[in-house]
Amino acid sequence: MAGLFDTLGISGTGLTVHRKWMDAIADNLSNVNDTVPGDQPAFAERYVQAAAAPGGGVQVVGVRYGSSAGIESYDPQNPLADANGYVRHADVDVTGQMTQMIMAQRGYEANLSVLSRATEAYQQALQLGNK
Amino acid sequence: MPAIPPISGFSPVQPVTASPSVAAGDPASGAKFGNALTQGVDALQQTQATADNLATKAATGSLQDVTAYMIASNEAAIATQLTTAVRDKAVAAFNSIMNMQM
Repeated sequence: MAGLFDTLGISGTGLTVHRKWMDAIADNLSNVNDTVPGDQPAFAERYVQAAAAPGGGVQVVGVRYGSSAGIESYDPQNPLADANGYVRHADVDVTGQMTQMIMAQRGYEANLSVLSRATEAYQQALQLGNK
Repeated sequence: MPAIPPISGFSPVQPVTASPSVAAGDPASGAKFGNALTQGVDALQQTQATADNLATKAATGSLQDVTAYMIASNEAAIATQLTTAVRDKAVAAFNSIMNMQM
């Protein structure tokens, strides 16, 4: 992505990765109360894997999944209970997700401020020589 | 009173000739600047087309990433400022030459 305004593009990749990270966090938190029958895998937490992009910047190289073991509980009254009366709840670490959300938000903000400083710098460079 | 000595030590005045370093302007150099300016405008047009395309996507709801449009429009704005700055400088240089006192 060699060009005149590289900083803008590179910061843009940072913004995209942090937005996808927030998407994953939103996905995890929205599924926090999922319940499945005891003989099926529970909701697994999603994690985005970020790595340096070849031409500069960062990119999401994949999505990793946490454990789908969940929390098994005996609840024969539950309509989802399996033959043995067990259901499986999603085991989402809400505190961990909230911490990650703060990290993602701060990372997003950092990239945004690089973007706005770079814009300012480019505009100041265009004023060079003007009175 | 002693006689005034004759003045000597002057070399004959060289005839005025055109200096080889300021020979007639190379016609190719003017074309080169024109080409550079044309390329700059073409690049600007492409940047603006990208921003327009993303603006259409934003309006129709098919935009995947909000920042993509914001960055493209930002880039188009700066590229426009750059091109006009280059144009202004070129016009200013031309006017400086035209207003030169002979």
